[in-house]
Amino acid sequence: MTEPTAPLEQHGPPPALEMRGITKRYPGVLANDGIDLQVHPGEIHALLGENGAGKTTLMNILYGLATPDAGQILLDGEPVSISSPSDAIRRGISMVHQHFMLVPVLSVADNILLGEEPMAGPVFLDRRSAYGRLRDLATFFGWEIDLDAPVGTLSVGWQQRVEILKAVYRNAQILVLDEPTAVLTPQETREIFTMLRRLTTEGYSIIFISHKLYEVLEIANRITVIRRGRVVGERLPSQTDEEDLAQLMVGREVQLTVDRGTSHPGEPRLVVDDLYARDDRGHEVVHGVSLEVRAGEVLGIAGVAGNGQDELVEALVGLRRPSAGRVQLDGHDVTGAGPRDLHQRGMAFVPADRHRFGLVLSYPLTDNLVLTDYFRPPYARGIMRDEDAIRVQAGKAVEQYDIRTPSVDVAAATLSGGNQQKVIVARELDRDLRLLVLDQPTRGLDVGSIEFIHRQAIAKRDAGTAILLVSAELDEVLELSDRIGVMYRGRLVALMDARSATREAVGLLMATGGSQPQKTDTGAA
Amino acid sequence: MNLRRTLSLVTIPLLAIVLALIVGAVVIIASSPLVSGHLDLVLPLRAYAALVSGAFGTVNGLIQTIVSASPLILAGLAVSIGFKAGLFNIGAQGQFLVGAVAAAAVGAGLAHAPAPVAIGVSILAALVAGAVYGFIPGFLKAFTGAHEVVTTIMLNYIAIQFVAYLITGPLRATGATFARSPSVGAAELPVLIGRNGHLGILFALVAVPIAWWLLYRTTIGFEVRTVGANPDAARYAGMSPRWIVIATMTVCGLLAGLAGAGEILGITGYMPAGYSTNVGFDGITVALLGRANPIGILFGGLLLGAMRAGSNLMQIQAGVPVQMIDVLQGVILFFLAAELVVRYVFRVRAARAQVTELQTVSRSYGQQTTP
Amino acid sequence: MRKQRFGLLASLSVAALILGACQGTGPGTGSGSQGPTSDLKIGLVTDVGTLDDKNFNQFSWEGAKQGAQAIGAPEPQSVVTTASADYAKNIQSFVDQDYDIIVTVGFALGNDTTKAAKANPNIKFIGVDQGLCVTESGDPDPDFGCKGDAAKLLPNYQGLVFKEQQPGYLAGIVAASISKSGHIAAIGGTKVVPAVANYIAGYANGAMSVNPDIKVEQQFVSEAPDNAAFNDPAGGKAFAEQLLAQNPDVDVLFQVAGKTGNGVLQAACDANIHAIGVDVDQHESTPESAKCIVTSAEKKLTKAVSDAIKRVADGSDKGGTVPLDITTDSIGLAPFYDAQSLITPDIQSKIDAAIKGLKDGSIDPCSPTACV
Repeated sequence: MTEPTAPLEQHGPPPALEMRGITKRYPGVLANDGIDLQVHPGEIHALLGENGAGKTTLMNILYGLATPDAGQILLDGEPVSISSPSDAIRRGISMVHQHFMLVPVLSVADNILLGEEPMAGPVFLDRRSAYGRLRDLATFFGWEIDLDAPVGTLSVGWQQRVEILKAVYRNAQILVLDEPTAVLTPQETREIFTMLRRLTTEGYSIIFISHKLYEVLEIANRITVIRRGRVVGERLPSQTDEEDLAQLMVGREVQLTVDRGTSHPGEPRLVVDDLYARDDRGHEVVHGVSLEVRAGEVLGIAGVAGNGQDELVEALVGLRRPSAGRVQLDGHDVTGAGPRDLHQRGMAFVPADRHRFGLVLSYPLTDNLVLTDYFRPPYARGIMRDEDAIRVQAGKAVEQYDIRTPSVDVAAATLSGGNQQKVIVARELDRDLRLLVLDQPTRGLDVGSIEFIHRQAIAKRDAGTAILLVSAELDEVLELSDRIGVMYRGRLVALMDARSATREAVGLLMATGGSQPQKTDTGAA
Repeated sequence: MNLRRTLSLVTIPLLAIVLALIVGAVVIIASSPLVSGHLDLVLPLRAYAALVSGAFGTVNGLIQTIVSASPLILAGLAVSIGFKAGLFNIGAQGQFLVGAVAAAAVGAGLAHAPAPVAIGVSILAALVAGAVYGFIPGFLKAFTGAHEVVTTIMLNYIAIQFVAYLITGPLRATGATFARSPSVGAAELPVLIGRNGHLGILFALVAVPIAWWLLYRTTIGFEVRTVGANPDAARYAGMSPRWIVIATMTVCGLLAGLAGAGEILGITGYMPAGYSTNVGFDGITVALLGRANPIGILFGGLLLGAMRAGSNLMQIQAGVPVQMIDVLQGVILFFLAAELVVRYVFRVRAARAQVTELQTVSRSYGQQTTP
Repeated sequence: MRKQRFGLLASLSVAALILGACQGTGPGTGSGSQGPTSDLKIGLVTDVGTLDDKNFNQFSWEGAKQGAQAIGAPEPQSVVTTASADYAKNIQSFVDQDYDIIVTVGFALGNDTTKAAKANPNIKFIGVDQGLCVTESGDPDPDFGCKGDAAKLLPNYQGLVFKEQQPGYLAGIVAASISKSGHIAAIGGTKVVPAVANYIAGYANGAMSVNPDIKVEQQFVSEAPDNAAFNDPAGGKAFAEQLLAQNPDVDVLFQVAGKTGNGVLQAACDANIHAIGVDVDQHESTPESAKCIVTSAEKKLTKAVSDAIKRVADGSDKGGTVPLDITTDSIGLAPFYDAQSLITPDIQSKIDAAIKGLKDGSIDPCSPTACV
């Protein structure tokens, strides 16, 4: 399958990392099927693939978390066997996870030193020399960072940088970055890219895992695409484009942007008036948001995660009581109404955190597909559940929404992220809706699933449903919305027509809220 | 599919039992010089043989097994239904005691009433008392966030003192040489089978299918399980975790209270002030052994009941003290809790996305889950 | 991998079994028999607790063993009770195994022992600390009228009870005699247990017989016969320390609180004052506090149980409540050991006189403080 592309023959020093013929079989799945991968010193090598393609397995093997059934790993030309993460770290391989592994209450320095504490003698910490090295590193990257600031007070972008700094501090030569930009703004992403390029000049090798095709094209020196456990192509960025990569990943032609056509907005469905809400710790994080969503339009709310969007959405769908303000649905006051009430009034909600709100992972698909309707006919009569009716519905949903599952009885946890999201979409969208709230509906999904979910949303819009889309993925907002709003520090700082919105303008609003852009992004937020 | 699922569920409990028997054998051998005067390598065999024959060897032994198992099954259900809702009910012990003392008090008051009335009202009293005693921690959890592990442990102590106060004070039988409640007389449960197979064993045998049906075939059970598996998703689905927590704890208390009624009305016939029991805590072992599933609990309860019933013969015939049962039970509990150890020893792979009851146990010590 | 592990464990256990089979000779019961022999099988059911509680369970068990030896019977067997609901079950298991004599320890077993005695007239029962109270049909009397004649209705059941006030009285004499301050104390587990109340009543009366002006501090750890009352040494120690802090001149402390009392003894030792043990010879049973224990108000459980077994063997046993008192030397003071020096001839003669008075009935240990 590997396409014979010309420029891959090598000269000079051996690759920093070479994985040869890696094969890993799990019961029923061939996760890696003879994968070859070469990463050269000073190279940023992107690894592209849909969820379940085998990227994670491959990286787990590299990091010593899994043992390959066949194949070889070579570091600087020397065959090695890596039996555990500590083994991997010792050999200079470091992994930066998608979910940060930082302790929020510890300082930047402590987080970096954690587990690797420099000792002066058997008892005492040698903080002085450690601080010296950390400062040197920071200077190297051109940062002004307060090493004593608690990590919890840093912005997400800075936390990501601390993670990478941690890896570098531990003398890693090969960094594996698992979707490092998933939660970052375009500006923050750019900062990270600068940092990565800086590292490559020093000879570090970087494996960069991402879904975002344009990012990969921007940052990578070389791109390896895997699908169903096999390498299906290697590309140089100069020789390819997004369509080509998407097709390689998915195995068929993919429409990267949904043709959303023109909208025909109708009457206002959701009217939010001066809404305030507090977070779980009692801090007010939504300050007087007013907005209106009309029938047949998509209102997209962009914003960096943590600017009050979660609380806004929760207040709208009945999971959080607003502290002030008014919410109307179809002209009825529904301020403070519960989820079930709203559900019955024709609202549906696809939550951002599908593991937290959307699904009960230990439940089979059958139960998950009736999670919001379990108590009414035909799924229940009185308190008696009707198992047959539930199964019939599950079978229908699996077929109609193309949920890939061996059976409707398997636990939701066993499905891929995309299929899990399809379960939620199937449950929420499979009826006539007045209002659909989509909160980060495609977070962490692969290209194919994103395409599917976007299509479903547009179809609902065209059927006259009002849609409120909240997303930290700027592209998603730009792609789907008819109108775009930006949340910054709990306020809706802008509301514009999608046709007049540019990526740069919205990105700037997300990062700064529209005030003067800050000159230097310092560590403490 | 269901067979495989069942198999993967019972593997760990079965292996835990096997490991416990092996550890028990080592302990027996090591202490055998005290029994036989020399290191006796067959002593475990003789002990286990006596244990089995005591529990299953005779009709009376078999009935004793069921009699001993009944309160354990009820207490096991009381703990496991809590597990299903994500609650670690350590309070089955206290709920058992208040149920027992309620049955003893009302039974003594109705000692000369017609038997059906006396029995019915006494049991009702125990159900109500247990339910109220379960409601308290449920309410505290739902409305103040007080963790049920903490409150139920404290309520256990309160129950002990409360029972002691009642029996040494207002409920004390006049004329008795030591502090005890009056006899329950007509409220004594009739013996249905064998020497001592009293009506109480039916409570347990009937409670199991009812609990199963409620949990897995009704919307109420679905809500309970959803709240336990994912309280956020439960709220999202329009359920009220608060009320479910309260209702669940109340039902748990009711079941434990029923167990208390069975022991007092069916076995002792009165309640001494220093009533000593471990049923509520053994219920935790049973619940873990039964994987919080009513059917599993039936078997878990029968196993522990058999060990209790057979242990006397083990001591009489093999000279191995009854406390060996506590060792076995403790080791079983250890291996159930330290499931990873068992998986490692036997190289068993984890069943995915399950084990919610154990998560509940471990979660109880760490994070706070507010409904 | 997985199979191997299984195999290893399996082969280990098989090896253990084979080894065992080669070596096993069974328990050694072949005692060099001389003197009388008997084939009476003796079983003992303890109260909730352990067999080596250094208290009722243990000394009754010693008594069963001594009794068995004395009549040449095989080694007795025991069943330890772990929960109140198990009394009947545990007694029944000896019945089912055709035992001839079943000893049950503690008043709490009285009810079930009575039922078992009625149901099994051919088996002899010995109840330690159990006063019999039966209806005219020989059942446990729910109203405690005790109308039935237990001796006649249940001739196979000896209920051994002790007059705790008598050893308490003797302890009181010792305490008042060695006290320099004229202020002594007793700590009971709970006053709702008659035995505790009687010990302490006798103690107060004995002390006053020596010194009418003596102050006797009487305090109880708990309102109920619970863990705190009898099973909590740490709690007992704290309780006693508090009492001593409030009454710094108390110089003799009598404990009537089981294991809780063992903490009381420690507190006395720490405070360098004299202590008096209870129920058993605590100089022997709690060696950690032996240095400050002057004596113990003792129920001679071992002798009582052993004697009861001997009576069964020689056919002289009579059913019903068997009151054990100083006339049969079933109660008394434990030896003084190192504290002998404290006991002047004068004190010894007071003790001797009291024993004589108690034996002939001229001294009432329940006056002026009444027993229950």
